[in-house]
Amino acid sequence: MAIVNLKKREIECKIVYYGPGRCGKTTNLDYIFKAYKKQVSGEMVSINTDGDRTLFFDFLPMELGKLRGCDVRVHLYTVPGQVQYTSTRKLVLRGVDGLVFVADSLEVRREKNMLSLKDLHQNLKDYGLNILKVPLVMQFNKRDLAKEGIPLMPIEQMEHELNRQLKVPTFQASAIKGDGVGKTLQNCLKLTLLSLKKELSWSD
Amino acid sequence: MSNGLAFSGSLDFLSLGEIVQIIGNNGGTGVLRIMSKYAPSPGMIYMAKGDPVDAINGDLAGLEALFSLFGWTEGEFSFSQEPVGHENVINKNRMEIILDGSRMVDDGKIPVLGPVSYKEDSSDASGDRTLPLIKGPFVDYMYVVDEEEFYEGDEIVLEGNYGNWMWVVLEGIVEISKQTDAGSLKILRLSDGAYVGSISSFLTESSVRRSTAKAMSRVQLGMLDSHLLANEYAAMSQELREVVKSLDNRLNQATDNLARIYAEKDKADRFLRDMRPVIEQGQNEQRVFTITRGKAAIGRKTEEGLVPLLELSKGDFFGHLPFLKMGHEPHAASVFASADLKLSPLDVPGLVAEYEGLPNSFRHIIENLATCISVTTMIACENHKNLHLAKTSKAQ
Repeated sequence: MAIVNLKKREIECKIVYYGPGRCGKTTNLDYIFKAYKKQVSGEMVSINTDGDRTLFFDFLPMELGKLRGCDVRVHLYTVPGQVQYTSTRKLVLRGVDGLVFVADSLEVRREKNMLSLKDLHQNLKDYGLNILKVPLVMQFNKRDLAKEGIPLMPIEQMEHELNRQLKVPTFQASAIKGDGVGKTLQNCLKLTLLSLKKELSWSD
Repeated sequence: MSNGLAFSGSLDFLSLGEIVQIIGNNGGTGVLRIMSKYAPSPGMIYMAKGDPVDAINGDLAGLEALFSLFGWTEGEFSFSQEPVGHENVINKNRMEIILDGSRMVDDGKIPVLGPVSYKEDSSDASGDRTLPLIKGPFVDYMYVVDEEEFYEGDEIVLEGNYGNWMWVVLEGIVEISKQTDAGSLKILRLSDGAYVGSISSFLTESSVRRSTAKAMSRVQLGMLDSHLLANEYAAMSQELREVVKSLDNRLNQATDNLARIYAEKDKADRFLRDMRPVIEQGQNEQRVFTITRGKAAIGRKTEEGLVPLLELSKGDFFGHLPFLKMGHEPHAASVFASADLKLSPLDVPGLVAEYEGLPNSFRHIIENLATCISVTTMIACENHKNLHLAKTSKAQ
C-alpha cells in the first residue's frame, strides 16, 4: 500500500525486483540508476547478501507527472532470494505496490526460474498478498546471450512455463546492455499507478 | 512519558526497520525508545530530521548499538518528538542501516533477544555440547516470598524426592538432569527469569520431583508464593486450567521421551501402532481440541524420519494456541489419533482473551513451559538424528 505523505505532498510507492540468484535483478537496477541519474534522488544502497546484492534507491519518474498535486516517488528494491533472509525479505516485500519478476533465459536456469516464482507466490501469500492481484510484469532477461551461442529457452517456452496462469505483460531484455530495462520498469509503473488510482478510488 | 509522544506500538506489528523508515519519511526529530522484557533497560535511538544520529543499548553506543537493536523483535516502541543534542556519530544512509541490520539478523550476526540463547558458554570445560540457556522475563517480586542462595555444585532438587516448592531463578545458572538406564542426562539449562519445579508441585499435595536441579554457578532463587499462585490458578476457567495441566504433562512426557532416546530405547515401532494422522505437520490448522476419549500422539517429521515425542490422553489438548510457542503442532509436528479418539473443540478466542488478562506470573510460567517444551523437542530431534547416523554408519 502506497504512502501518501501530505507533509511533502508526495505519494510513495514501492517496486520490487524479484527473481532467482544472478538473473540480473541488480543489473536492471544498476542500469536504471545510471541511465536515469537525473531522476534518482539520493544514493544507491547496496548490501551484500551471501553472493548476491540487495539494492535500494529512490526514483522520481518525471514522465508520470503529478497525481492530485502530489509527486510520485518510487522506491526501487531488489530482494534477496536465499532462504535465510526472511526478515530482510519481509521488510522489502511489506507494502509492495508493484513487482518485476526477472527470469533468466539460460536453459540451465529453467528450474531456478520456476522455483523462484513459486517462492514469490508463497512469500506474498505469507504477507497477505495475492500474486494474481499485485501489479506484476515479467522480464525474460539475457536474450543477447543467444548471439554468443549459449543455449537459451525460446520465448514461447518461457511464456508457457512461467506465465500460463499469471498472464502478465512480458518483456525481453538484455539488462547488461540496457535493452528492455526501461520498458519493463515503465510498464510496471503504469500498472502500479493504475492499481493505486483504483485503490484510492481516483478515477482521473 | 514526555508530552512529545508522536507514536508508539508493538514490535510484533512494525519491525524496527519499518519504524525507522516511517520516522525517516516524515523527517522526525526525537528519541525512539525500544522496550523489551528481556533487557534491563530500553534501547534508545536518537533521530534528527529523519536520520539516526546516535543510539544507546546498555554499554553499546552509536552504530553498534543501533545494529544490536535490530535483534529486539519482541516488545514495544515509542517515539517522542524532542530536541536531540547528540552529535551525529552514525553518518550512514538510513536505508543502508535498515537493510544491513535486517541482513545481519538473518545471517545470525546480530543476536535475537528472546527466551532462548545458544551462546557458547566458555566455562563449560567438560567437552559436552552446550545446552541452550533458557531465560524468562524480568521477575515480578510480588510472587517471591523468600530468597535462597546456592553455590556451584549444590543440588537444589533431587529426582525422586517429594517437594512442593517452585522457584524462579533470580541470578545464575541451574542445570536440569534426569537419571536414565544409560546414566545421567543433562536436559536443560535455566537462567534468570526461568522457573525451577513444576506447577504440579502446588497443584497436588505431595508431588515427586521428576528431575534433578543443580546449581552451576552461584545461584539465587526466589521461592514463589504457592498460596497466591494456587488462588490465581483456581480463578482461571476450567478450560484454561486443563490447558495448563496438559502443558505440564506435555513437558514431562517430552522429557521422558528424551531420556528414552538417550538410553536408546526408541519405541518408534510401538509408537503410532493403529494410529492415523489427524493434523499433518505444516498444515494450516487454527482449531484446538480437548481429548474426551482415546489417545493421540505427537511426532515431528525430520529428514531422518519421524521422531516420536509424546502421547496424549483424556483431558489433554492439542492444536494451535497462538500464545504457546512450543514448536509442536500444527507447524512443527504432526498429530496422530487412535481409532476411538473423541474430541471436543476448545474456544480459542476465549482462551486467548483469558490468557492475555492473566496475572504476569502465570503468563510467564506458561511461556516458560512452552519454551522448555520447544527446547526439549529440539534436543530430542538432535539426539534422534545422532542415533540414526550412528546406526547407519554401523550398518555400512
